[in-house]
Amino acid sequence: MDFILQGLTEAFRLLLAGDEETFSAVAATLKVSCLSMAASLALGLPLGFLLGYLRFPGRRKIRMVVDTLLSLPTVFIGLMVYAFVSSRGPLGEMNLLFTLPGIAIGQTILALPIVIALSATAVESLEAGLRTTLLSLGAGKYRLMTGIMWEARHAILAAALTAYGRVMTEVGISMMVGGNIKWHTRTITTAIALETAKGKFAMGIALGLVLLMIAFAVNAGVSFLRRK
Amino acid sequence: MSLYRLENIEQRYGGKTVLSIPDWSVAEGTITGLCGPNGSGKSTLLRLLGFTDSPARGRIFFRDRATDIYAGNLRKKATLLPQESYLLKRTVYRNIAYGLRIRGEKKNQRQRVAQALSLVGLDAESFAERPWYALSGGEARRAAMAARLVLNPEVLLLDEPTAGVDAQSAQMMKQAAADAHFKNGVTLVIASHDLQWLEDICTDIFYMFDGKLLGKGTRTFIFGPWEKTGDNGALCRLADGQVFLAENAPKDPAGAAAAIEPEELSLHLEKQDIPPEKTAVKGILVRLALEKHSGRLRASISAGHTEFIVYPDPKSIHRKGFLPGSPVWLAYTPQKVKWFGKERRP
Repeated sequence: MDFILQGLTEAFRLLLAGDEETFSAVAATLKVSCLSMAASLALGLPLGFLLGYLRFPGRRKIRMVVDTLLSLPTVFIGLMVYAFVSSRGPLGEMNLLFTLPGIAIGQTILALPIVIALSATAVESLEAGLRTTLLSLGAGKYRLMTGIMWEARHAILAAALTAYGRVMTEVGISMMVGGNIKWHTRTITTAIALETAKGKFAMGIALGLVLLMIAFAVNAGVSFLRRK
Repeated sequence: MSLYRLENIEQRYGGKTVLSIPDWSVAEGTITGLCGPNGSGKSTLLRLLGFTDSPARGRIFFRDRATDIYAGNLRKKATLLPQESYLLKRTVYRNIAYGLRIRGEKKNQRQRVAQALSLVGLDAESFAERPWYALSGGEARRAAMAARLVLNPEVLLLDEPTAGVDAQSAQMMKQAAADAHFKNGVTLVIASHDLQWLEDICTDIFYMFDGKLLGKGTRTFIFGPWEKTGDNGALCRLADGQVFLAENAPKDPAGAAAAIEPEELSLHLEKQDIPPEKTAVKGILVRLALEKHSGRLRASISAGHTEFIVYPDPKSIHRKGFLPGSPVWLAYTPQKVKWFGKERRP
């Protein structure tokens, strides 16, 4: 029990002292998660809208595939991205292996099904009268889409939050594609895994606290947006 | 020139034809009423007229121009107030200003919204900044109406505007619709079960049944269920146990509708006054009213919850002393009953 309490005390000391190694992992995590979330929202929201709004042959099959991808193991994504971006892979020339953009690609693949599936559900669950209302007030195709997404904004924010939580806390992709390189591609989660293996609980706990604080800040932001 | 002209229109949902109109038009500057039972196609027709749905087959012309639902300019001329009025998840002000923002009409937006709210009896100061969830059902319906009125449309399509709202809200909705037409010349198409209101306000009333327009004018529809009697006849049991008889019935009349023209009904105070070749049902004279657009005296007789319309001779009404509340006999000839519906006898 003592080593946990000591770890907590040491963790606060590291954070308050602005420990460079700790903050390097925090910066890498924020950078890579922001990149992957931007990409997954840019791709996932329009696709989720189309999947939730349109009725077309094969829609249910696509939905089933997207739902299945929700449980993609991160190590499998890591493995696939590694295979693609390693020097022997089709994207090897882009030198993405052991880089933050490489991790972001993997995390985008992780977040994309979550954004698509949850935003499609959000659009599906809107009342049938919304489309007629927007059209009857003069909305065209673009306004119709933005109007529907705006009406589903709370559920879409929840979808983004869920995806962000998954991206922030994954280890497999960051470890396999990033390689956990100190000062370079070491993220909070890979650092926690490494420091714990080395028996350095303080840094692990400090990084865990930072993860919690980031999650709290994101939730507070979303809560503020919901009230708007 | 017709404002709307519909050619061979069909609408299908889930493979089932829910609307079939070979030819129909609406004249500019009129008030057209649509009535008929639930599921008769009134809302489907209004959605087509409001350009919020495309027909599965056929063409809709607006001022002789073929239409397409995403042709923005057309949809800005006509606006539909759906039966289930949906308020966007924002304040009342932003709900009402939404259509103006789409049209880029930013000038005097606040005054226009306040004016539209006042047209439906809502005070802008206390309602404009309320969120969508802080309104009662009647207030929400009136706010939705204001969101249409603020657009100054050429055509206002109202789907059951007074259904499910309190008496005050219903009165406000009726007044706002009348003002839009009589003060601003807006063409109105109204679907409603409030036959008395439709008869008071409409230029033309069309009856709908089973996705078809059954024709213009005031007539009494008996929507059944009908039971077959003998080879050719059918009967409908009215709510008070009386039977209404009709001849020339379809092979399977159960889901069909029958109608009788006002001219085929005669009104009698005593049963012995009824000519022997006629059949009769007993009812109560519930209303005597002047029909505004035709200038005729219209009598409404309730028999087993079915309201029959008759145009009696005013002199005989006066002479014989018919008064609302009087028990009366309605005489008719079963052969004169017309059939509408899915199947007709060839």
